[in-house]
Amino acid sequence: MLKRSFWKSLLLAVMIGGLAIAGTANAADMIKIGVAGPHTGGYAAFGEQFWRGAEQAAKDINTAGGINGKMIEVVKADDACEPKQAVSVANRLMDVDSVQAVAGHYCSSSTIPASEIYADADVLVMTPGSTNPKITERQMKGVFRMCGRDDQQGAVAANFIINNLKAKRVAVIHDKDSYGQGLADAMIDRMKALGVTEVLYEGLTRGEKDFNSLVTKVKSVKADALFFGGLHTEAGPLVRQLREQGITADFISGDAINSADFVTAAGGPKYVDGVYMTFGQDPLTLKTGRDVIETFRASGYEPEGYTLYAYATIQALTSAMDATNSTNLDKMADWLHGNSVNTVLGEKSWDSKGDLKVSDFVMYQWDAKGKFRQL
Amino acid sequence: MDIYILGQQLLNGLTLGSIYGLIAIGYTMVYGIIGMINFAHGDIYMISAYLTAIILSLIFSLGITSLPVVLLVTLFLAMAITGAYGWAIERVAYRPLRGSTRLAPLISAIGMSLVLQSYVQISQGARNQGVPILIDGVVRLGGEEQFVQITYIQILIVIASFIGMAALTYIILKTSLGRQCRATQQDRKMAAILGINTNRIISTVFVIGSSMAALAGVLVTLNYGSFDFFIGFVIGIKAFTAAVLGGIGSLPGAMLGGIVLGMAEGLFSGFVSSDYKDVFAFALLVLVLIFRPSGLLGKPEIEKV
Amino acid sequence: MSMQQKASLRKAVIDGFWSGILALIIFGPISGLVLKGYTVQNELMRPLLIALVVAVGRFLISYLIQTEKGRYYLGKLIGKRDAGVTVASLTKSKYQYLVIPVLVLAGLSLPLVLGKYWLTVVILALIYVLLGLGLNIVVGLAGMLDLGYVAFYAVGAYTLAMGAQYFDMGFWTMLPVAALGAALFGAMLGFPVLRMHGDYLAIVTLGFGEIIRLVLNNLLEITGGPNGASAPSPTLFGLEFTRRAKQGGIPFHEYFDIAYSPSYKYIFIYLILFAVVCLMILFVTRLKQMPMGRAWEALREDEIACRSLGINHVTVKLSAFMMGAMVGGIAGVFFATYQGFINPSSFTFFESALILAIVVLGGLGSTVGVIVAALVLTILPEVLRDFAEYRVLMFGVAMVLMMVWKPRGLIRIKRKAYDIGEPAS
Repeated sequence: MLKRSFWKSLLLAVMIGGLAIAGTANAADMIKIGVAGPHTGGYAAFGEQFWRGAEQAAKDINTAGGINGKMIEVVKADDACEPKQAVSVANRLMDVDSVQAVAGHYCSSSTIPASEIYADADVLVMTPGSTNPKITERQMKGVFRMCGRDDQQGAVAANFIINNLKAKRVAVIHDKDSYGQGLADAMIDRMKALGVTEVLYEGLTRGEKDFNSLVTKVKSVKADALFFGGLHTEAGPLVRQLREQGITADFISGDAINSADFVTAAGGPKYVDGVYMTFGQDPLTLKTGRDVIETFRASGYEPEGYTLYAYATIQALTSAMDATNSTNLDKMADWLHGNSVNTVLGEKSWDSKGDLKVSDFVMYQWDAKGKFRQL
Repeated sequence: MDIYILGQQLLNGLTLGSIYGLIAIGYTMVYGIIGMINFAHGDIYMISAYLTAIILSLIFSLGITSLPVVLLVTLFLAMAITGAYGWAIERVAYRPLRGSTRLAPLISAIGMSLVLQSYVQISQGARNQGVPILIDGVVRLGGEEQFVQITYIQILIVIASFIGMAALTYIILKTSLGRQCRATQQDRKMAAILGINTNRIISTVFVIGSSMAALAGVLVTLNYGSFDFFIGFVIGIKAFTAAVLGGIGSLPGAMLGGIVLGMAEGLFSGFVSSDYKDVFAFALLVLVLIFRPSGLLGKPEIEKV
Repeated sequence: MSMQQKASLRKAVIDGFWSGILALIIFGPISGLVLKGYTVQNELMRPLLIALVVAVGRFLISYLIQTEKGRYYLGKLIGKRDAGVTVASLTKSKYQYLVIPVLVLAGLSLPLVLGKYWLTVVILALIYVLLGLGLNIVVGLAGMLDLGYVAFYAVGAYTLAMGAQYFDMGFWTMLPVAALGAALFGAMLGFPVLRMHGDYLAIVTLGFGEIIRLVLNNLLEITGGPNGASAPSPTLFGLEFTRRAKQGGIPFHEYFDIAYSPSYKYIFIYLILFAVVCLMILFVTRLKQMPMGRAWEALREDEIACRSLGINHVTVKLSAFMMGAMVGGIAGVFFATYQGFINPSSFTFFESALILAIVVLGGLGSTVGVIVAALVLTILPEVLRDFAEYRVLMFGVAMVLMMVWKPRGLIRIKRKAYDIGEPAS
């Protein structure tokens, strides 16, 4: 018995070794960029947005002649939003695929451990969608982001709730995830600075659909505004059950509900009518992105959510490579700190931490047709 | 305490509990007959949610709008196709393992659960999907400001779950099929010797269990209006907990366990903390099992020498 | 019967036809009609193709099963159903004493062969070997179905992270502390549940596993909640394996004046882990032959008989629970240090299910089996990465197929054979 298992182990070892060697082959005239995100598992919808955006960006850059004559190749890397897989796939991107930069990771809990590995390998990473402040607060030179931070977003929401809506009794619900809870906490911080304390602070469980007891609780505290930190998959049923129980409190949420799927999740446009949300300057209305958006729509894909963020991330990374004519972390990081990039999302520049210099969060409101417009 | 709020929370718990109960029936039936925890059951429920949306859109494209017709056709087709899923999964993943260790089908079921999830993700995409509002309207008791309310679809869920449980209990206790089921459950070899096609009986149980999941799937999808390929996981664990809480293998137990669990969650999150509602639900389960090791309505295990 | 059995083509065709129809019903709506908002988009070629494959497959199986040769080959694919235990042969193979040294040497030289990525995959695999060994004590040897084993894993991982954060302790101090902490934790959880049997025990442990994860997630002020906590890397007598020193020591590469490579850290973790795994295998193998291990197995087989023979079933079960928990805690420490960062999403129910799958697939109770299964189930998803979104599908299919192929696990337990000398004639 032992003997047979020995041969099996040997076979396995040979197999692994072979794969490792086979993986190291690398074409020198290509620039490889890893696109890491959840391509499987419960968050796969966001991974798909990343990939669509990044793939299109690479295609457009290559059609325009590439970067200093080199073609861009994007490499899909799946972390399923699990830290364990994020570390594995980050090592794979560095070691097997030998990418020169990474656009990636959606969940902040994946971006944090993975960025340590990129830093170790001297590779620059820019996340299109991780908004947790901690990511850029760790004094790492090669970590950038294309999106805003939760604290900036929360502050915009709090100002709006207190100054414009004049709400006195604000209930806060979050989804116990780093994004949702971070956003909710940031909102509360700013609200307290404005002199209002929340009347309710509760977490719901991601993946559930029944929030009726929570909604009844919101009713019992007689809230006149409800802020939700979380994704559209929970925001939809929440707002529907809120309205079904006859509560007319204002519903305010963050950028993660910016998706047509929010309307589907809520069960129809009549439930999302009047919902407020914070989001960056809407990429779908920007002049700079019109051509790109048309290309997406022509191929039958609506570039929503993080699609254009991923597109812009690839643009920023390749601009830095183009300008410095290298893929060196220090050179690229210095260039990104000092210059601005004209992306599909408009002109972007970064501060010394790697955050966007101008966070352009503004308020939007949904209407009874299931569309939203800037206030 | 505000009586309306309390009443509303009780109703919330009741509807949630009925949903748990409906899904728990599938777990409990399968467990009852072959003593196996069917971890893929939550994903069968998920399949039926997708079927609901697909069938509804087909019906609407045919131009049929009469509500009872739409509802009945959807229920019938969804239950039939989901039943076929149950049959096929049993045939492919569990039957070859019959007569081996008790844990082998459990692992096979976990594998099957992964297969179903990613199969739906690949074919339907990862975004969440929805169905249009079919049944709209609420019953409100009380005044203009203060009231207790339940939607029509929630009433339907509660009624359907009780009818489902009653019908299955009748089948198990009174019909020939039920007798064959009980015989197979008690002693599979002996039942086979007496001329019962035990394989067919077990398949039938899987089909019935899956159809019950589909019944829940259709109604719950109409209630919440949205779903994605991952919904089976959370609700599957909850329904399984409900089945064990009520005494696994017992049909009224599944229903009771579901309602107790739903009420406990609803009341705890309504009056204490929604962060810790699942902690409370599982702690309740542990407590119940410590004092009643076979669940609320389960028969105590007889230890034989 | 002397009559030549003739394979009936007609029956096979009918079987294939009906399977195809059934496949069409099953796969038709989900894979053929794709939801777009409240309407569907026609993709009916996909289910037709699937149904065709199913029909042809069923036809082939149905035809083959009617022939002698076909039955033989199909029988090889589907696991045998013979029950019980086999006994190892007394005669030892000539080279058996060589096997272990060769394996250890191969293990030690692995970092020389592998790149960083595959080294991290192997580290992860070894962590799962540890987890498998630990759960094997509880499920395989003591026969208690534990669906919440991930709780102890989490306790170990968080002990390291919290120890580093609040008490400024390093990897080496926290390793024994975490092992002890997890064992105590196992005792605490184990005590109330020992009365329960089989699947009731399973669901209660599942409940405990979920409770731990939820509490870790909710205690934002202490554990960092969903934002997670960072964990320190191991040091070699104060030498650190990072580019710049973080824990107040000297970086390894500066001390020895060599170029920095991010692999050093992983090589070092791998070597410690490899040693721990070897020790643990030795420990478990010895334990199985000690009175305690024999009591576990006896209790698994017949609790009532054991109790009437004077075995204290509470202490025996508790010892198995604690021992398993301890191993899980150690695995957690390695996981945290390898990852550098932990958050509660690493400790979901699915993780428990995966560990259980390792134990069952390995063959309940078999140490070698657990090792092989852990390697297969952790390396397989990485190998399948090239299949992108089909990865999880293929992993699930592989799990089902492996169970169907070997329902009793990859490696069957063999009882040790004893030579009692020639019987007197």
